[in-house]
Amino acid sequence: MTAEPSRGWQARDLAITGAMVALLEISKRALDMLPNIELITFLFIMFTLYYGKKTLAAALAFATFECVYFGFGPWTVTYYYVWPVLILLVLVSKKRGRTGVWYYALLSGFYGLFFGYLCSLYTLVLSGPKVQFAWWVAGIPYDITHCIGNLVICLVLFRPFSALFGRLRSQGLL
Amino acid sequence: MEKKSNTLKIVSAILVLAIAIGALVLVFQKNRPAASEGTKAYTLTVVDDQGTEKAYSGKTDAEFLSDLMDELAAAGDFSYEGSKSDYGLYIEAVNGLRADYDADGAYWSIYVNGEYGQYGADAQPVADGDAYSLVYEVYQAGEEAAN
Repeated sequence: MTAEPSRGWQARDLAITGAMVALLEISKRALDMLPNIELITFLFIMFTLYYGKKTLAAALAFATFECVYFGFGPWTVTYYYVWPVLILLVLVSKKRGRTGVWYYALLSGFYGLFFGYLCSLYTLVLSGPKVQFAWWVAGIPYDITHCIGNLVICLVLFRPFSALFGRLRSQGLL
Repeated sequence: MEKKSNTLKIVSAILVLAIAIGALVLVFQKNRPAASEGTKAYTLTVVDDQGTEKAYSGKTDAEFLSDLMDELAAAGDFSYEGSKSDYGLYIEAVNGLRADYDADGAYWSIYVNGEYGQYGADAQPVADGDAYSLVYEVYQAGEEAAN
């Protein structure tokens, strides 16, 4: 896993970002019937490891796509910070030389466990700490599912996707 | 040596994650919204093919008997299966006991306050103090002719 070459935005970045958003959306729709079992966390980790900080553009495009699809509301603000937070965590980890499958599996597990808390932050601003706490507590069972799902998905898929993304990079496609 | 240290770090991180999950479970159990008690008292008695009775009682806000049955099923000590038809909900099994009319004329009947129910479970209104029974019965050939 080498550092991505430092370069400005090029036309191919738009194509890569579009492909990433398409993959995110397809994986999301495919697993929609399983509450909080998702590939988005895993994909953002992999994209960030191999595509670096430019993945933030994909996160913002994905958030906007979700808003268009599900409609705009006070909650939509969460879409714009939950994934960038994950990307920043991965960027920091990458900078510190973290490359192991267990590291990222545990990171995605913790991220899933506190995903609900992260999402509840908008209610803190809108309605205060009591509402935020109740909102967060009600979702804890889903956060635990999210945590275990993320952990297992990353453990299973990290190595095959690393091999795939490594090959794409060596061919100059990523 | 480094491999051992890595393993130790992974095991420690897994432990921290397990402790965090445990802490969240405790937070959830201490703070989850309490189920509000309903306002209508009821008893529901299940009579199986051996004539053994199992009774449930409590208070509910359920509008129809099927809603009450769903509440009981969600609580865990009761289960039922049924299918929707043009005539309403047809109860096929209660507490794991299936009544197969095609095989032996068996069916689940509904009694309301001791009287044979006039509605399906999804159309039977729940009223305060009502006593419902779900009874496993078998249609005997010639029963109607005798009556």
